Amino acid sequence: MELSATIRGVAYRFDSVKDVLARANPPKSGDDLAGVSARDAVERVAARAVLADLTLAELREHPVVPYEADELTRVVEDELDAAAFKAVAHLTVGQFREWLLDGATTGATMRAVAAGLTPEMAAAACKLMSNLDLMTVGAKAEVVVRANGTLGLPGRLSSRVQPNHPTDDVEGILASTREGLAYGCGDAVIGVNPATDSAESTAAILRALDDLLRRNEVPTQHCVLSHVTVQLRALQLGCPMDLMFQSLAGTEAANRAFGIDVALLDEAWATMKAKTSNRGPNVMYFETGQGSALSSQAHHGADQVTLEARCYGLARRYRPFLVNTVVGFIGPEYLEDGAQISRAALEDHFMGKLLGLPMGCDACFTYHASMGQDELESLKVLLGAAGCCYLMSLPVGDDIMLNYQSTSFHDIPTVRRLLGKRPTPEFDAWLAARGIADGATPGPRFGDVEVLR
Amino acid sequence: MILEPIVPTVLAVRRLPAASPALLAAYGADPARHVSLGLVTCDQDDATYVALDEATKHAPVDVVFARSFYAGAAHASGRLSGEILGVLAAAEPQAIEDGLEALLRCLAHDACFYDADGKRGVTVFPHVIGSLGHYLAAEAGLAVGEPMAYLVAPPLEATIGLDAALKAAAVRAVRIVAPPTETNFACAWLTGEAPGDLAACEAAAEAYAAAVVEVAGGGAGAGGR
Amino acid sequence: MSRTRALMTALRARLGAAEPLAPPPPLPRVEAPPARVYTPRREASRFAAEAARHTTALVGIGHVGTRYATDVVLQFQAELAVAHAAVAAELPDDWAEAQGMVPVRSRVADHREFLLRPDLGRRLDDASLARLRQRAPRGADVQIIVADGLSAVACQGAGKALAEALRAACQARGLTVGALVGAKFARVWLEDEIGQELDARVAAILLGERPGLGTGDGLSAYLVYAPRIGKTDGDRNMMSNIHARGTPPAQAAARLAALAQAMIAQGTSGVTLDLAQVDGGAELGVGYRAPQVRQRLVEHGGGGGAGGAGGAGGGGRRR
Repeated sequence: MELSATIRGVAYRFDSVKDVLARANPPKSGDDLAGVSARDAVERVAARAVLADLTLAELREHPVVPYEADELTRVVEDELDAAAFKAVAHLTVGQFREWLLDGATTGATMRAVAAGLTPEMAAAACKLMSNLDLMTVGAKAEVVVRANGTLGLPGRLSSRVQPNHPTDDVEGILASTREGLAYGCGDAVIGVNPATDSAESTAAILRALDDLLRRNEVPTQHCVLSHVTVQLRALQLGCPMDLMFQSLAGTEAANRAFGIDVALLDEAWATMKAKTSNRGPNVMYFETGQGSALSSQAHHGADQVTLEARCYGLARRYRPFLVNTVVGFIGPEYLEDGAQISRAALEDHFMGKLLGLPMGCDACFTYHASMGQDELESLKVLLGAAGCCYLMSLPVGDDIMLNYQSTSFHDIPTVRRLLGKRPTPEFDAWLAARGIADGATPGPRFGDVEVLR
Repeated sequence: MILEPIVPTVLAVRRLPAASPALLAAYGADPARHVSLGLVTCDQDDATYVALDEATKHAPVDVVFARSFYAGAAHASGRLSGEILGVLAAAEPQAIEDGLEALLRCLAHDACFYDADGKRGVTVFPHVIGSLGHYLAAEAGLAVGEPMAYLVAPPLEATIGLDAALKAAAVRAVRIVAPPTETNFACAWLTGEAPGDLAACEAAAEAYAAAVVEVAGGGAGAGGR
Repeated sequence: MSRTRALMTALRARLGAAEPLAPPPPLPRVEAPPARVYTPRREASRFAAEAARHTTALVGIGHVGTRYATDVVLQFQAELAVAHAAVAAELPDDWAEAQGMVPVRSRVADHREFLLRPDLGRRLDDASLARLRQRAPRGADVQIIVADGLSAVACQGAGKALAEALRAACQARGLTVGALVGAKFARVWLEDEIGQELDARVAAILLGERPGLGTGDGLSAYLVYAPRIGKTDGDRNMMSNIHARGTPPAQAAARLAALAQAMIAQGTSGVTLDLAQVDGGAELGVGYRAPQVRQRLVEHGGGGGAGGAGGAGGGGRRR
């Protein structure tokens, strides 16, 4: 295996596959923070040249965290589909990129090989791709899942209503939820990040949401994004729960910092399959985001794009209904500005879709990142065009509990109209029946909360 | 775009290598000479008539059956019906194969309707056949190898177009089908007054197309009562 | 190329109608004044008024097509500007000393480095370490640290009041509390090194949280048992949104003191802490419900006196 390249007479040598993967990344403040990024733009291209010649089989043999040291690596390796892997193992990363971009490679073909790909392969292809490359492949890769609604069909763009409240005031949460539904949002999930991580509070919010959705016959699903242990206790209280949530990171050590491991997730999934209040079969909801492993010093010297892909390698074990990358939430130390946040959003969407996940994106920024409102609005259109399954939605995009800026109730119908996208078919029919929307255009009762009882 | 080709869509191509003698007879073939059939349906009948004739120039085949369907492709009886069924017959399957190849090539690259008003609200078929095959030669009562202008448009446009075509060059009408045809168009076949006068056929087809475009556009001089 | 196609291409060019533009549709007549006038609708809808009793989320704001009315856009931009200004603010170097706290700072050199290098914000610089050893007593049950975090504005606002309320609440439970430490350019994990250095049983850092729209005054508290460098987020318990519209400092202090006591009693913190055993846990788990009011930041004209970021609120809730 050759880990060197020469550019204009200067030879660049790299220590390991992990090193090559890291230095091939486009600039990210988080890779600088981890001390793994390329020294300059030329070394970055040299690393890409080396990466382009590695085969997928070689990547499988060199995961960024060793098999013995990490249960995520073991989950990926032990569950890899041998036939699917064999179909692409001989390709170099450069050839793999071209194969993905080839017009003859369809979404169905990609789904067929997904189970044979390791996260490192998805990350490696990502590093050789421009933003439009990432969008082109992302848009081809269809992943269709079902709970009460059917998410991820072509020509669809769904949204999560995120009616967070700083004190979990149920009436306040319901007010934001009704407003969101009246704007045609919420077909992916009504998902509340609770301020208080207790089973009672989780159950109380779920019951209130369940009442609202049943009363108005809304074909969607609900979720309270407390810790998975808290949700398991809430289930014991007998509350309805359409989706179970957990944040994931890309290494065993980083997940330990989140208070989870594979055994706990297995238990949560098994419990949910038995107790979910949705029609199924998909019952789990995961969130990820570049930089989470480094923030707990659990990155093993790997770059944040590859570690992000490893989250998806774990997530696919649980056939989730939703996965989204909370792309600008973690802060400027990982993604400094609008260009880095936009790039990361397209990277994550591409990698997740390639690995067979129904990817959504929380296109967002915190107020200490160098990103403006206009850049964020542009990113939503890019994601819509790239076939992103769903975006967040909040009143004016302002999360009054988590204090950051995301997608608004007004942005979802705007992007749908611009791109000719529609919500899930079930929700589409509900919106039409209520007069909220007529396909991709607003209906007579658009924005009117009195539509909801 | 005005005069943009509207390429015909071939809806089905099927082969019967050894057709039943009863079927052969019913569709106008001769069970003594014909064994194999080739069937094609398409959403443009006139382009298909030309293409069937083209087939007879490239393979030992006969056009035994070719009929337009009432009211055209927009009112087809089924997804595969279109507005015409054409049947080639031959003594053996390879001849059918060769005939179909020529037929499909003609439909893909030559015979087609053209957009006459930029919105496909009016279409025109101003086709020039340089050299007739034995199918259309027999239909037209002309010798094989003669040139012919095959002109089709909606009733009003066709009437004005035909008048223009007949005055534009030294041509004569070998057949005029007043409206409506099965598909509610009108049709005319013209050939040179002097045998083999291809240029006259071309001038007539051009005048026909120009007149149909002018009527369809409703421009100055055509818009008044 | 086919004979007929070539013929038609030539004809198209000769007609000069290769790309004829369709005649433009007639323009509609617009009557003056426009048929619909988009006046700012100041009076709240029934729904907006009801919702405002429960949430500061901007609901019931209507729409123009699928977008915001101009008034909403201006309010939104003003709130964004206030948030960005709060992030840009820095804690004065002499602040902690003036509050009677032991002043320390992290290894961060300037504000941009603070944003990009959390690793440096988690460790004390050498001078601070020396000062801590010299001036702060060791071995307390609870070591309280007040820090800027991502909002120096919040730290300067309610930081000291929260710290003192927490100290009193701990002492009321019989816990000893160390000298208040005031930290600049500090990240949450700085509490590990300070707590370790001072040999505290629980470290509690109270720091400004990331500003939200129109606000920059929220504090968060992170508590960790047996603070040591190398503790992770899963080892901590936290409480956010400590401000007048969320959980007010007095109630937050009571809850945090109960948490600290439970950590000491159970000998652990973070995900392994049994919250059901926290004194008053169920009751304290429910947030305080203050009247929810979102300040209107922009008033047209100069007469209101409430237009600036420091204003006391203008015409109440926006429409």
